Amino acid sequence: MPGIFVFSEDCAIARQLLTPGFELKQVMHQPSCVITTAIEAAEQFIAAGADKVFVLQTESLWPEGLATAIANLVVEEQASVVLVGGTVRGKNVAARVATRLQAGMSSDAHSVTFADGKIETARMLYAGLALSEEILSLPAVVTIPPRTFVEPAATVRQGIVKTVAVVPDERVAISEVCPNERTGVDIETARKLVTVGRGFRQKTDLLLAEGLAKALDADVACTRGVAEDFHWLPVERYIGISGRKVKPDLYLSAGVSGQVQHIVGMRDSKVIAAINTDERAPIFEAADYGIVGDLYEVLPLLTAALENKQ
Amino acid sequence: MPRLLVCYKWVLDEQDIRINPTDLSLDASRAKGKVSDFDRNAIEAATQLVEQLGGTLDALTYGTSTVKQSLKDALSRGPNKAYWIQDAEAVRADSHVIASVLAAAIRKIGPYDLIICGEGSSDSYNQQIPSRLAELLDLPAVTFAQEIAGDGTGFKIRRKLDDCTELATVRGSAVVSVLGEMNHPRIPGLKQVLGAAKKPSEEIKLADLGLNSRDLMPRAINKSVRGFVMKRKNVIFKDGSAAEKVAQMVASLANEGLC
Repeated sequence: MPGIFVFSEDCAIARQLLTPGFELKQVMHQPSCVITTAIEAAEQFIAAGADKVFVLQTESLWPEGLATAIANLVVEEQASVVLVGGTVRGKNVAARVATRLQAGMSSDAHSVTFADGKIETARMLYAGLALSEEILSLPAVVTIPPRTFVEPAATVRQGIVKTVAVVPDERVAISEVCPNERTGVDIETARKLVTVGRGFRQKTDLLLAEGLAKALDADVACTRGVAEDFHWLPVERYIGISGRKVKPDLYLSAGVSGQVQHIVGMRDSKVIAAINTDERAPIFEAADYGIVGDLYEVLPLLTAALENKQ
Repeated sequence: MPRLLVCYKWVLDEQDIRINPTDLSLDASRAKGKVSDFDRNAIEAATQLVEQLGGTLDALTYGTSTVKQSLKDALSRGPNKAYWIQDAEAVRADSHVIASVLAAAIRKIGPYDLIICGEGSSDSYNQQIPSRLAELLDLPAVTFAQEIAGDGTGFKIRRKLDDCTELATVRGSAVVSVLGEMNHPRIPGLKQVLGAAKKPSEEIKLADLGLNSRDLMPRAINKSVRGFVMKRKNVIFKDGSAAEKVAQMVASLANEGLC
């Protein structure tokens, strides 16, 4: 029977996907189905709106090896839409499933709707310079970034749980799984950020930004160049298309020119402020407030002014 | 000796694309082409592997009539030979079509021990091609690599996931996509640029790839593309002393309840 299928190896993300899945169910009149490896999570999926939960039985450390099993399942079940959590693993699984289905796929969609018998998605192009609306004929595969949707409230309801045997994919062996080092700072959840760019001349000068961050009760983030070219801050601290996406109440940058690849990672911030010597730097087009000036002169004054204010 | 292949895309440089303020359409008339940013990381990674392991590196690209302009640039970055497929319809190609064409070409010029791609293209950043290629060629895909090492029997790839890193070991061939943070692509010098002109390149005709209309029919169609416009206050303090500008900034932030 046709259905709207959801998969993520991360159960919290899979529950979030039940929100757009439910919207599609309302207009497509097809059941909402979850594919998971976590049998213990099946009841939670049903409570969050799943009509059917398919539990893939695997011991593998490599969830991406499930792509073939997922593709076989969605072909057999005649899925019309497959929504996949846009993690690193999810993107690999989704593209393999789409290929098996000979289906179109939208990556990192921030909306997904159904109109005129087709799926419509919205996503970014050119590192955020443009937005595109894509039309996919059915079956369609869509990846959605984690935390784009809020998971539905749990209700008491009935659903079907079905287990599916999986032939393991042994072409890739996984070892040395290391959790990422936690630096104690999560810039994605920070309320205020001071962001440093290439305008800083040396690593020790970051103390200026740290002083300002302290006065503002903010965390320090950076551009890709500062993390990847200079290695002054861990890569987990850089904002941009291939880095973190942030939306703090205040984003304040110093020495950041504002290339589109950086802007896309911070443009949802509530208030954007920038300090740069170049009046024509693109960061000022993206800013609510800006100071044209030398950060080496401005930051100490700004830090002092904020400290005096308290 | 391993045979390596790197796939790259010739894209418009987004820095030169302007948004038309009246209708938010994109004006790419002044945009020049470039080898997509992360594909340069892929070429660098592949070139370094060949420097370590020996063997050969081919490059493969698919694009419109402008794709030929890319060959010298790509070859100056390390590959020994470039293959290209030119198709006016490439402008409408989605990941399904691109992967179908590349996979068919690889069947023709391959097999390869390792096929390397960038983590995503700098225009559409769909990040689908490595996985789709792997599926079409019946190979494993190991995406988002930070390090690649080869020992003659296979490859060990350290990859970076959302919350951890892991080591993926593949015996036999694989498709790998590399992260932008993996390396710093070398900037070709005069010698490399002149050397690139002497390296071989070969066109593969689309008609010779045995693809049917289903393979070449895009499944994802762009309904609309419009420029993203920032709606910000753009209050920029540029006159007066640094202290005066700082005072105006502090007053503005205080007004927003942020300090």
